[in-house]
Amino acid sequence: MKLNHLLEVGQFYLLNKKYSLAIDKFKQALRLNPGSALLFFYLGLAYEGGGHPEEAKEMYRKALLIDPEYEEAKRRLHRL
Amino acid sequence: MAKSFAVIGLGDFGMNVARALSRKGFEVLVIDTDETKIAEISEEVSQGLVMDATNERALKEAGIQDVDVAIVSVGTDEAILITQLLKELGVSRVVVRATSPLQGKILTRIGADRVVFPEREMAERLAQSLSSPKIFDYIELSPEYGVVEIVAPKKLTGKSLKESGLRKNYGVTVMAIRRKYPVMSKKGTPDFKEEAIISPGADDEIQEGDILVLLGKYKDLSRIGKL
Repeated sequence: MKLNHLLEVGQFYLLNKKYSLAIDKFKQALRLNPGSALLFFYLGLAYEGGGHPEEAKEMYRKALLIDPEYEEAKRRLHRL
Repeated sequence: MAKSFAVIGLGDFGMNVARALSRKGFEVLVIDTDETKIAEISEEVSQGLVMDATNERALKEAGIQDVDVAIVSVGTDEAILITQLLKELGVSRVVVRATSPLQGKILTRIGADRVVFPEREMAERLAQSLSSPKIFDYIELSPEYGVVEIVAPKKLTGKSLKESGLRKNYGVTVMAIRRKYPVMSKKGTPDFKEEAIISPGADDEIQEGDILVLLGKYKDLSRIGKL
């Protein structure tokens, strides 16, 4: 429940361009579920949106390590 | 005794070198054919002479042989001739500004003690600063000018282009702003929609995460990279 809550709040912040807050929530969520490709992807999006391309790339790569078929992560990584 | 310097040719490079040496307390003699340039700097240096440095007799009369270091910053052909004359007159150390490796090679062969490539060094410094994660890409337009794509520095977010002072304080032009909008994809996951604002206006605001496409001199672009 807590994980879903963090994910939802993180998404809310992300969609409202509150990138630092989104990063914080996704990091908290990752502490609860460190093997989630989705969370790494979201964290990558928050980093990318906030103007931290290197960190974003790292997160997309981590998402792809967990799920090599993660198309969105591949696409975003390719664009950076 | 403090070292004495002669700076021949007062372009941007020559002017800056002469001023820097003078500020450090050295005796600096400047030479240029343009009297307005000499007038511009004459109060900051020990002596300014309006003369043609390719004239051997004039160089001798100016006492060039007595300086410890001569810095030559003029056009290619003149630089070769002046370097040769300075060495013949016995100037112990001649430093010459070059713009190409070939010119550098020739200058070294005729006796220049040191050849410097300020434009190239500037470009290399920029290239080094490009390893900064904040700079995405750059295009070299000339040895002096380039275009970079840079993540908008935090200091500038929330400001209009006018307020940012990018043009006024840094002398760079914002050619475009690449901006990402977070959206929900059809799959129900967040994603980004991207757009480019070409030739943004003075009132356009810089937002967090914006990528600025900037045109300017390398030295100015490097300064922004450090913001």
